[in-house]
Amino acid sequence: MTDTDPEPDSTDIETDTDTESGTDSTSGDTPVETLLVSSLEESTGKTAITLALARLARDEGDSVGYMKPKGTRLQSNVGKTLDEDPLLARELLEFEAEMHDLEPVVYSPTFIEQAIRGREDPDELRDRVREAFETLAADRDRLFVEGGGRYDVGGIVDLADPDIADLLDARVLLVAPYEIPADVDDVIAAADRFGDRLAGVVFNDVSDAAYDGLETDVVPFLEGRGIPVHGVLPSERELSGVTIAELADELGASVLVDNGQDGYVERFTVGAMGSDSALRHFRRTRDAAVITGGDRAEIHTAALEAPGVRCLILTGGHRPSSAIVGQASEKGVPILAVQTDTLTTVERAEDVVRSGRTRDADTVDRMQRLLSDHAAVDSILG
Amino acid sequence: MGRLSALFDPDTVAVVGATDREGAVGRAILENLRDEFTGEVVPVNPSRDEVLGLECYPDASSAPPIDLAVVVVPPEIVIESIRDLAEAGTENVVVITAGFSETGGEGAERERRLRAVAGEHDLNVVGPNSLGIMATSNGMNATFGPESALEGSISFMSQSGAFITAVLDWANEQGIGFRDVVSLGNKTVLDETDFVREWGDDPETDVIIGYLEDIGDGRGFIEAARDVSSDTPIVLVKSGRTSAGAQAASSHTGAIAGSERAYEAGLEQAGVIRARSVQELFDYARALSGLPEPETDGVAVVTNAGGPGVLTTDAVGDSSLEMASFSDETIDALAEAMPDEANVYNPIDAIGDADVDRFGEALEIALEDPNVGSAVVVAAPTAVLSYDDLAERVIETLEAHETPVVTCLMGGKRARDAEETLRESGVPNYFDPARAVSGLDALAGFRDIRERTVDEPATFDVDRERARKILARVQRRDDNRLGVESMDLLEAYGIPTPQGEIVDDPDRAREVAESIGGDVVLKIVSPDISHKSDIGGVKVGVADEDVYDAYEDVVARARNYQPDATIIGVQVQEMLDLESATETIVGMNRDPQFGPLLLFGLGGIFVEILEDTSVRVAPIGEGEARDMVDEIQAAPLLRGARGREPADIERVVETIQRLSQLVTDFPSILELDINPLVAGPKGVQAIDLRLTVDPDELDADISDTEEP
Repeated sequence: MTDTDPEPDSTDIETDTDTESGTDSTSGDTPVETLLVSSLEESTGKTAITLALARLARDEGDSVGYMKPKGTRLQSNVGKTLDEDPLLARELLEFEAEMHDLEPVVYSPTFIEQAIRGREDPDELRDRVREAFETLAADRDRLFVEGGGRYDVGGIVDLADPDIADLLDARVLLVAPYEIPADVDDVIAAADRFGDRLAGVVFNDVSDAAYDGLETDVVPFLEGRGIPVHGVLPSERELSGVTIAELADELGASVLVDNGQDGYVERFTVGAMGSDSALRHFRRTRDAAVITGGDRAEIHTAALEAPGVRCLILTGGHRPSSAIVGQASEKGVPILAVQTDTLTTVERAEDVVRSGRTRDADTVDRMQRLLSDHAAVDSILG
Repeated sequence: MGRLSALFDPDTVAVVGATDREGAVGRAILENLRDEFTGEVVPVNPSRDEVLGLECYPDASSAPPIDLAVVVVPPEIVIESIRDLAEAGTENVVVITAGFSETGGEGAERERRLRAVAGEHDLNVVGPNSLGIMATSNGMNATFGPESALEGSISFMSQSGAFITAVLDWANEQGIGFRDVVSLGNKTVLDETDFVREWGDDPETDVIIGYLEDIGDGRGFIEAARDVSSDTPIVLVKSGRTSAGAQAASSHTGAIAGSERAYEAGLEQAGVIRARSVQELFDYARALSGLPEPETDGVAVVTNAGGPGVLTTDAVGDSSLEMASFSDETIDALAEAMPDEANVYNPIDAIGDADVDRFGEALEIALEDPNVGSAVVVAAPTAVLSYDDLAERVIETLEAHETPVVTCLMGGKRARDAEETLRESGVPNYFDPARAVSGLDALAGFRDIRERTVDEPATFDVDRERARKILARVQRRDDNRLGVESMDLLEAYGIPTPQGEIVDDPDRAREVAESIGGDVVLKIVSPDISHKSDIGGVKVGVADEDVYDAYEDVVARARNYQPDATIIGVQVQEMLDLESATETIVGMNRDPQFGPLLLFGLGGIFVEILEDTSVRVAPIGEGEARDMVDEIQAAPLLRGARGREPADIERVVETIQRLSQLVTDFPSILELDINPLVAGPKGVQAIDLRLTVDPDELDADISDTEEP
């Protein structure tokens, strides 16, 4: 519990909660306001948005909790299979909870196989989720529930996000990406599935190029269709990249030059051309890591010259020449060395950026600011 | 003499880290200094009282005043030692010690500190990782190499220390002497530009030569070398010409290999004579240091051997020189003096029985001819010809005429003594006629460099503020590129662009088309689509009533082709008359060493397949811009070949100059291509634009250029 909580009860919000929960019989008599954050696609910033909202509510004086009914971001390399998101939530929101409550269903490949063979009982799973929810919801004003991957994940055991929303009597915030107007079809399809439970949509990671069109044309259109849009969050590189230190960690790379490791990398580019065209190529990119063989000195120097290159990843276990290392450390560009070949390294690195976007306290701070600046937080929280 | 004169002419030289341990660098330097140096040598080492019989001091402050310190201590204490020296009043330091940025991260940090200490105390620092320096005028050999240089008038710098030891060994055998020699090492403080300036100011240096792997500040070097080469020739070997060589150079020094074209253009603009091999370097250097300047490009060849005479004629043909055509007087005089069998036209064949007198007479007559700027004496050994006497005769003639003469006294042992005699008078002798001619070529090349004038870049009235705002758009992009939507950048710098607008709505497209009058061109605008016409993203000659459909069509095609491409809109542009016009390309690529490299060429296959382009390092004046246009092979097409109306070349030249100003004003522009720039009889129009901008540098541009 925080001690910045002046009046824990007797707020308007609680009154609303009482009336709402009174209309639905599935949840117990816990007077908790539940928000399910669901998304159209994986890696759209769901975790950051969920936790940032929880913290905003907590700052308002609410006692908040978190759960992720289906663990989808599984990490088996830490010993046992579990999802990292609840761990981060527990740390950031400073609350005590058991892991099996935070993440009652581990939606692993094995689990899915078992479910298809009929060895998991959907009713029993629903009970398990509800029990965990009730444990976590006890004494809380608000519970933030994070969906699993895409909103339709979990249908195998009747626990897709719309099912969860019904089960927990939750309002739903839909997080959607946006690039082109045709993306709106997906938003409408999802809105239909959630029905009345949909509190609204937040578009996240919207590029500058798409931003204006979205705000001026798409948002009024959706609202005309009865789908409230609560925010359009611009793309911000600190949220869409990984730090070089994290990248090194995930790739199991040895770090040859370590200054500048707090820089962010958003994309990768491969150096497999002549040094002249390499420089041209590297200059056009921004916040990139260059992946190339450790023996390609002229590519290394070209990469070190380009302003948008944040990091060099040298493949094949070759060490670069000392002069290159010296040059890199002078320019503050980290060099990572990996044993794998270039192609494998590119695939792995892209995986890290795609699925392993930064999820740390800093990300949540930034998301909190973005939400405050670009979203109607009060409308989202209801 | 410049500020580095004390570096080469110290009264007292200290060896910091002096030792008598066999095989140690600190001993080798001390021995080299002790042997020949006319000044005082002071060993410094806290753990010795005496080294090689010289009194040794514990530190700089307890030693007598030191003009030049040679530092050979372990890397960890280099900075400390230099600080100590600086505090004791030493201004010139040569750091022999290795273990700086060439060894990786820790070394790079040490090098940063070295730079800081040097800056703080305003020190002249050579190295680190240097072989040392030499000056033959005072016998100072402050290197750990095995050889001392012979006295001469060539000053020599090298980015490779090993190259110096090898060159000196060879040069000593060849009798080539030097004035000053510097091993540049890592060039942390003093670099090639500093030494070019210093030796340019030194009246005793006749020729500056260098072996370089990179040039740190290309622009600064061009400026310095331009000044200096107006009276002192500079000859450089720049290694890393090929891509494999560039890779090796990157690996060696960690410096980026700038593009070979940039070096070529930059060194040419700097007035540097570029040697492609070590042999050429010294062939040029010998000719430049020993011979007078030729007044014309005509070469006379005097020989006793038909075959070598033809070889020499070919070599002249390959060079920028030409075979002199003799005046009637010369031919008459030669006919008079030579036997009937001899050839009195150039090359003069004095035939196999020619003795020294016939050779000498032929040479004298040739040198009297005003069309002859230089001569090559080519001889094969015969029973009637004494090489030694011929050498004497050549020297006499040359001194009387002040005209450069080189010799090919072909042979081995037989030519040895004559070669020696010639060398003493500064006349290089070669076995191979091609090398002899290349020496003369360098002399003529230097004459042209000396005589040329470079005009100042023009300053056009431009809207710099507007350009800055346009460039700042890149800060809102996902990558560093701007495209045709930024054409107003060109307008801000007075480069004409066709009437038109970028729209994101078909109705607006129609409005714009109507306002333009006549048929229009529609083009998709997307940073992600580079070959617009390949995907049907361009429609030419669209009537107003078809604009709406054409708009839909180009957008649909772009979407189909690349669904994730960012589409900014569609450009609606006035139709230009391309029938009577020529498409050209004007561009810039910022070279890491030389800065903005301007490019000009004709569009299409001329650029893509024939690579028929010319380049210059900006900023350039009108003369150089005009040279760029004239230099391309396809230039006659612009001047109106085959009944075509000539293009407005004046406007092309002006556009190049305006682009030169734009890229000089904004270092944040990394690349820029106007492709095409349509050049018609009545002016030019920039049709398409792409550029890459460094957003970080843009911030710096803004603060730097703000006027008070």
